[in-house]
Amino acid sequence: MVHFGPDTWLLPDSLPVEGLLAALAADFGFDTAPEYEATVVYADTFDWRLYQQGYLLHCHDNCWTLYHEDNSEVTVQQGGPELHAACFARDFPPGRLRELLAPVLSVRCLLPLAAVHLHGRQIRLLNRDEKTVARIVVETQEPVDGERCYRLVRLFGLRGYGNELEAVRGILATAGVTEPVSPLVGFEEGCRAKGRSPLDYSPKFSLELNGGETARDAMARIYQFLLETIIRNMPGVLADYDPEFLHDLRVAIRRTRSGLSLVKRVLPAPVADRFGRVFGRLGALTGPTRDLDVYLLAREDCLGRLPPSLRPGLEDYFAGLSRKRQAEQKKLVRALRAKKNKAVFAAWQRALKRRDRQPADLADLPVRDLAGRIILKRFKRVSRDGRVLDAATPDTEVHRLRIQCKKLRYAMEFFGSLYPKQEMQGLIRHLKKLQDILGSFNDLSVQQEMLRQTLKSLPAGSRRNLDQAAALGGLLQSLFREQQELRIHFTEAFAQFGDQETSALFHELFGKRQEPA
Amino acid sequence: MSIIAVYNIKGGVGKTATSVNLAYLSARQHGKTLLLDMDPQGSASYYFRIRAPKKFGAKKLLKGGRHIEENIKGTDYPGLDMLPADFSYRNIDLALDECKKSHKRLSKVLAPLLEEYDRIILDCPPNLTLLSENIFYAADYILAPVIPTTLSLLSLEQLFAFLDEIGLDRDKVVIFFSMVEKRKKMHTEMMQSLREDNRVLRSVIPYSADIERMGIYRQPVAAALPASAATAAYENLWHEIQELLAI
Repeated sequence: MVHFGPDTWLLPDSLPVEGLLAALAADFGFDTAPEYEATVVYADTFDWRLYQQGYLLHCHDNCWTLYHEDNSEVTVQQGGPELHAACFARDFPPGRLRELLAPVLSVRCLLPLAAVHLHGRQIRLLNRDEKTVARIVVETQEPVDGERCYRLVRLFGLRGYGNELEAVRGILATAGVTEPVSPLVGFEEGCRAKGRSPLDYSPKFSLELNGGETARDAMARIYQFLLETIIRNMPGVLADYDPEFLHDLRVAIRRTRSGLSLVKRVLPAPVADRFGRVFGRLGALTGPTRDLDVYLLAREDCLGRLPPSLRPGLEDYFAGLSRKRQAEQKKLVRALRAKKNKAVFAAWQRALKRRDRQPADLADLPVRDLAGRIILKRFKRVSRDGRVLDAATPDTEVHRLRIQCKKLRYAMEFFGSLYPKQEMQGLIRHLKKLQDILGSFNDLSVQQEMLRQTLKSLPAGSRRNLDQAAALGGLLQSLFREQQELRIHFTEAFAQFGDQETSALFHELFGKRQEPA
Repeated sequence: MSIIAVYNIKGGVGKTATSVNLAYLSARQHGKTLLLDMDPQGSASYYFRIRAPKKFGAKKLLKGGRHIEENIKGTDYPGLDMLPADFSYRNIDLALDECKKSHKRLSKVLAPLLEEYDRIILDCPPNLTLLSENIFYAADYILAPVIPTTLSLLSLEQLFAFLDEIGLDRDKVVIFFSMVEKRKKMHTEMMQSLREDNRVLRSVIPYSADIERMGIYRQPVAAALPASAATAAYENLWHEIQELLAI
């Protein structure tokens, strides 16, 4: 969350800036900076990564300015790309701004949020030595699509000049500057005009269930939440801004499918069957583009695994993947735009909202009674499969365990709000560690398979192909070795998750004899 | 995180002008910087228009902790704070003498400030006292402005002899030429001979009316006259020091 200091007020309409300065003139000298004026466009990732870290970024043509809540000053101001479409950290010229943005944005792009017309001036308040003892900024913020115009006074103190700061506060209050306001009011209003508000999207699943509500109502709310995630990510997927839109969309689809297969006899069987197929099809439809995204995101890592002499061959390989992805993305967009899909989401929503003519037999069960049973069942399954995991387990078995873990994780996330938060977080943390190892293992497996396929289809003959084959061979070797190393850690990774203590906690939390919350 | 002491036994060699301008340049490069005015004359404080708080003095300085933190003042420049000097610093040796481990007291007092500041710059008084000894222990580098004259050479020898006496490494001392007048033949000759035997920075600060006038406009020359030759000279000096500190 962004908090830019407490000392910000609305300037009453009846009080002109000159009136404010006249009130201060008895105690302070002034040094007024030239007036500034610009229409700035605020930018952030779709999931508010900058805002979450306390940053605020805006651009004015190609001049970018970054602020941080810890500091009233500009953190960095620098030239950069024009924000016509999606901008990535890599689109910025090398320098401090890029260094600050890259780790926060990661693979996500910046999108334009609100446009706000700003104008104002900074006034330094001086003591008898003409030393600055405080600064005030008088600023008008006018969201371009908004209805209101805000006149703000902001006050910034200086270390060691607390008495002066207090004096200025007093003078402002006497002059009628008494209504505190967020310094981001123009930004927030501008976002609202565009149908957004800070932190209104997060890929995390968070839904407060009520233990007493029926399983049918609870599941409908869960599916509804996931459907909203799907719908909200759709424009980003179609426009292909950054790979995370598709990723988040696919996770929501997978969660929905897991829900449909884990939680049986809550929705009427024909409904569950039909939409199980629908979301299965959507999952398959979006798979190829995502797979290629994953390979392409690993590009730097892969290049780093090879000696420089082999790298050009790998560049060819990635260029090929990139072309393939373009083609797949086109296909995906066409498929998602099809009327059939739009109708499907509307039908799913109707199915969730209407009363079932023939309710399933567990529909009216309190969700609390159902949740524990489902989580415990998934846990037992993971324990059973995980216990036999060792360095020699075949890849396919590892993959199966990975899927089991995912199902357990989703079940825990769906119903997490029914259980004590701290215990839940602890268990999920343990599970996540195991999942991370299995996930990395699987990625390495899939990457190798992809390389083998490419090698098989590579025609012999040209020097170029020979270079590419050598690069792929080198990469295969490196991936294989890392995968072997991961295997060594299987036993201990599972031991951490499947120990007595964790198992006991699972049984205690989700077992039959639990007290109603 | 480093502590740089700007020091010379001789007065009037440009210590304060150097401290003030380097501190300003350091802060401008996104390094949170604290300038400590150790000279009871308080010239650095005067340049930044900062008066010492009423209840602050040598004893408070040596107590450290919140006694220092409460008296640090923000300058007019982002990222640059200063601890103003107080006239009572003239008797600081007496106060130091009462402390335990009296020659390392300043190190101890400065240590917690390094958590907040990337760089601490000390503007030192021109003498060779228990306070100087404290400064030499605390500083990572002793930056010595030297006017290329025979007397300055003498003061350098005194500094080295003193460091040997208290068992500190001569390598801490970094010399640069200050208030250089190109047209004076003696300056050029002295610079040449000094460079032969010592580690001396390439950058040279020329004698400049712009620097002398800092007392009138009461700002670092790099802030008041950013396009001047004097500013360029301090910028070069700061770049060279940065290389030295590897920051």
